[in-house]
This record gives sequence, structure tokens and C-alpha cells, in this order.
Amino acid sequence: MTQPIAWLDGPHWPYLALILFAVLPTEIWRWLAVAFARGLDADSALLDWVRAVATALLAGIVAKLVVSPPGVLAQVPVLVRVAALAAAVAVMALSRRRMMLAVLMAEAVLIGGVWLFGAI
Amino acid sequence: MDDRGKGSGCAGARTRPSRPADDRMSVSADWSWQRVALAGARDALSLPAWIVGFGLVGIGSLAHDVGYPVGSAVLSTILVWAGPSQVLFFASIAAGAAWSAIAIAIAFASLRFLPMTVAILPLLRRPGQSVWLQLLLSHYVAVTAWTEGLRRLPPIPLRQRVPYFLGFANACMTVSALGTFAGYYLLGTLPLPFAAGLLCLTPIFFLVSLTAGLRHRGDVAALVLGLVLAPLCERFIGGGFDLIVAGLIAGTVAVFVGKRRKAA
Repeated sequence: MTQPIAWLDGPHWPYLALILFAVLPTEIWRWLAVAFARGLDADSALLDWVRAVATALLAGIVAKLVVSPPGVLAQVPVLVRVAALAAAVAVMALSRRRMMLAVLMAEAVLIGGVWLFGAI
Repeated sequence: MDDRGKGSGCAGARTRPSRPADDRMSVSADWSWQRVALAGARDALSLPAWIVGFGLVGIGSLAHDVGYPVGSAVLSTILVWAGPSQVLFFASIAAGAAWSAIAIAIAFASLRFLPMTVAILPLLRRPGQSVWLQLLLSHYVAVTAWTEGLRRLPPIPLRQRVPYFLGFANACMTVSALGTFAGYYLLGTLPLPFAAGLLCLTPIFFLVSLTAGLRHRGDVAALVLGLVLAPLCERFIGGGFDLIVAGLIAGTVAVFVGKRRKAA
């Protein structure tokens, strides 16, 4: 457990910590983007690159969450986690992109996998 | 709880059987902004809002685990509005990381919002729009509003896009705040397979949203390269820089893959 900073500690500490160490480091990029986006054309070549980098970053977050997952998800075998994501992509490819079906299939594989193979 | 989301989601899947139907005009040009905002909220509630909401149920339980109040969990959903940042915040506190390390890790994981927001704001921009409105709009940028916005906004008339986007995003945020609140009290009581299933909803939903938004070979390359390079960079670079390095390499290569395809 990370302890509160002593001279700022008090009943409001969790909220202060949230603002300082979670809201600001996240929100700053959205604010900077407002400055950068001014004058950018909606279909410029630069935006194609920006969109590709954003897509790759989101895909990277997915990979990181599966390889080093939070909380009780870490107790699920890694092969079951990967199989769940593979099932989601397979359903998207084969079902003309039915999102709900893909999510349900991935969840079924994950929950079924834990039942079959047990937790670590 | 799980059944409710699945039920409503199935209803959404029934009314929108396929992608062509999904891409139809969801608003009419002569509608008032109130009606457009409601249409945005309705489209969100047809599926995406429920998935984000269930995806953020896990945040409530992570906050509960470190003894933080339920208000801080719900506020994190409203003010941070980024699943991975919230996971990092509460999971790092549980792991005993230094505050500076927590802030830096979150800043690096959130860098994606710079390109994401830069990419979507031109779709929402109108002449004479104030900076304050743009700052407000930028706050709602997260995976759902981004992937769904890039897909749904272009066919909508320019002056109706802001109310549609705000209706859509606020519906997602309201459901998610309720989900975080419920997770704070409920998730600890769930059997492991279901608790793990809720926590895994975030990466599953990210991947499904990204797949739904793929338009050409360059997008596919960005997705696949990002998936492969991120764990490799985490292994060999680390130090918080790994994700952004992976994203820059994968995104740049993907643009060239897309270009070559267009030229051919």
C-alpha cells in the first residue's frame, strides 16, 4: 500500500491523490491535443499517421493488459486470456462485425476456460 | 447483474444485425439538438455504454481493495475516464509504488489521448467554436467515444455532431459511474471466474471496438503490430517508455503499409 503524503494527509486525501496522480497525468494529453488540433484538416496525411499511432497504442494497451493483467485476472492462465481475445477477433471476422456476439464469445471462452483448467 | 448487461446487449444486437445496418444515418438533418443528443444517448445504450459500464465495474473492486472511499472510485470514472489509468492508479497503490512513479506511469499510458483527441476533434469542430467547448469535448475522448465517433460522426451533419457526441458520451459515462459504484460493493462477492470475466472485459472491449473500426489494410497493420510490439517492447525497453515506442513504430509502419496498398 502506498501511504499518503504526510503533510497533505486527511479525510480528503484519496480525492486529492486521485486529482494529482491520476486525473492530471491523463487529462493533460487531452488538453494538449486541443491546442495541436487547431487548424488541422480532417483528412490530412498527418491525421492518417496520428490515427494509426493511436490505433497501435490502444492495441498495445490490450496486449499489456493480457500479458500483465490486474487483480484476480492474473490468476487466469495466460493461454485462456489469449484464447478469449482470439475468439473475439474470430467472431468479428466471421460474423460481419457483430460486436455483442464477439464480446459474449470471448467472455464464454474466458469463464469456461477458468472452469475447465482452474485458476493459477 | 451480468445477465442484465447481456440481455440489453442482445437486444442491441437484434436491432442492429450487421455492420451495414450499423452504419445507417442515425439522425435526421431537421432534428433539434435535444433530439439529436437523445439519439446519441440511445445509440450508446444500444450496446457500447453497457460494455464500458461493465468494464469499469472492476475499478470499484480495485478501489475497495485499497480501502479508498466509494466516492473516489466513482469520481475516477467521471474525471479520469480512462480504464487503464484507473487500473494503474488503484493497482499501483495496492502494490505500494511511489506517488511519482504512479503519476509517470499513468502519464505514459495516457499519451495515446494526444493522437486520439487530435484525430477526432476536427470531426467535431465548427467555425467560431470556443476553446472551452473543445476542452469539454476532449474530456470524453476514450476508447468507446473515439472508435464509435470516428465511425458514426462523418455521415452526421456538422452542426449536429457535438450534441450527438455529448449525448453518446454522457450516456456511456452515466452507466459507467453506476457500474463502478456497483462494483465497489459487489465484485468481492463474485466467484473468481466471473470476477476475472469482468476485469477482462476492458481488453476484450478495446479489441472488439478497434476491430469494428478497421477500414483498410493500414488500420489492420497498426492493430496487429501494436498487439505484437507492445509486449516485446515491455520486455526489452521498459521504464514506462515501452508503450509509446511500440505505438510510434507500429503506427509509422502501418501508414506505409496503407500507402503502398493505395498506390498499387
